[in-house]
Amino acid sequence: MFRFSKTILVFALFSASTAAFAIDKYQGVGRQATPAEVKAWDIDVRPDFKGLPKGSGNVERGNELFEEKCASCHGSFGESNEVFTPLAGGTTKDDIKAGNVKGLSSGELPQRTTFTKVATISTVFDYIQRAMPWTAPKSLKADEVYAILAYLLNLQEIVPADFVLSDKNIADVQKLLPNRNGMTTDHGMWPGAPAKKGGIGNGGKPDTANKACMKNCKPEVLIGSTLPDYARTAHGELRDQNRSFGPVRGTQTLGPEAAKKAADAGTLDLATKSGCMACHGMKSKIVGPGYSEVVARYQGQTDAESRLIAKVKAGGQGVWGSIPMPPNGHLKDEDITTLVKWILSGSK
Amino acid sequence: MGNPMKIRAASKDGVTEVKVLVSHEMETGQRKDAAGAIVPAWFITELVAKHGDKVVLTSDFGPSVSKNPYLAFKFKGGAKGEKVTVTWKDNKGDSRTDEAAIN
Repeated sequence: MFRFSKTILVFALFSASTAAFAIDKYQGVGRQATPAEVKAWDIDVRPDFKGLPKGSGNVERGNELFEEKCASCHGSFGESNEVFTPLAGGTTKDDIKAGNVKGLSSGELPQRTTFTKVATISTVFDYIQRAMPWTAPKSLKADEVYAILAYLLNLQEIVPADFVLSDKNIADVQKLLPNRNGMTTDHGMWPGAPAKKGGIGNGGKPDTANKACMKNCKPEVLIGSTLPDYARTAHGELRDQNRSFGPVRGTQTLGPEAAKKAADAGTLDLATKSGCMACHGMKSKIVGPGYSEVVARYQGQTDAESRLIAKVKAGGQGVWGSIPMPPNGHLKDEDITTLVKWILSGSK
Repeated sequence: MGNPMKIRAASKDGVTEVKVLVSHEMETGQRKDAAGAIVPAWFITELVAKHGDKVVLTSDFGPSVSKNPYLAFKFKGGAKGEKVTVTWKDNKGDSRTDEAAIN
């Protein structure tokens, strides 16, 4: 994220002076991205708060928004451990003072949470803005992200209940983050120059050394294990999921069934676009039930179609466990009908 | 006195759903520390929830309940602005009461 947007910035400045460069080189391929397109794409918020939108939000508003949009998966207090690890909890007042979460190194914590780990508040802001809610990412306005973040900080007992978080005071909150001193950059995963040369990483040196074998080496590679048959289809047709050019094709996993899958691909696209595939698998449960499980349950029920259409529209809870399905009022009625028919006819 | 509980109460169609996150160590009294000495038991024994003056939930807690327990329940009645009060007592004689308004 950091590196890429820097590149784009340099590219944007560069291309302003030599606008025709790319187009001259690759005749008839693409066009320059417009400033509006770059702006829509360039939403990252960095640790120095570059890219942070203006706005503010208080804990109370955050509580309302969290109940409405977040609590169904994360729990009212960010405590839910059913699908995701908890968001809040696990830090003490001493951690806030020290800037290091003691429980992480002492082994005292039974489980890590977002706020025991995260070292920069900008990361949480960026993530909520970019990826949440899961079924409708990027739908939150800047003020709403501030409010939700304020609520999370209050849950974590970093800020009081009457706190108003804004672009003006977020830097002060950074100074209270429990694990703000917990980030290390002295390892190979950090890009850029080593510390000696003015960078902050170790120059990309890996943690392990893969030395060339000079004696008693294995003469050939033997494949020690392969996926068992029952697991081969766990991710659908692998061949279809690889790009259609280049050397890697992927194993054909479904056999003749693959033909039917191709025919249904249009509806699958619709399901993916509508956000269904975030929670439902084809065959097995992800968060919600797999489609073949749905078919098995509603088999032989004549009113299944109309009941499921109503359920997709209004949301539901309890039939498949305690995780609720959010309402989908934003989808068109005919799309919902298409999707339900597709699921009941065996999807794939 | 203990740390404050987090309480949310929301009323819908005449039913109020209450969610409580209690902050408590909940030591079973069966664990040993690094030196081999038993960590003394310290857990909530009783938890009572009231809607106004009316008791809507009483529960006996014990050592098997997790640290920082989460509790959710529903009761009939309750309107916006009315108070829900939750009280716990633990085996050391400590207790704590917190309240929240229904919304």
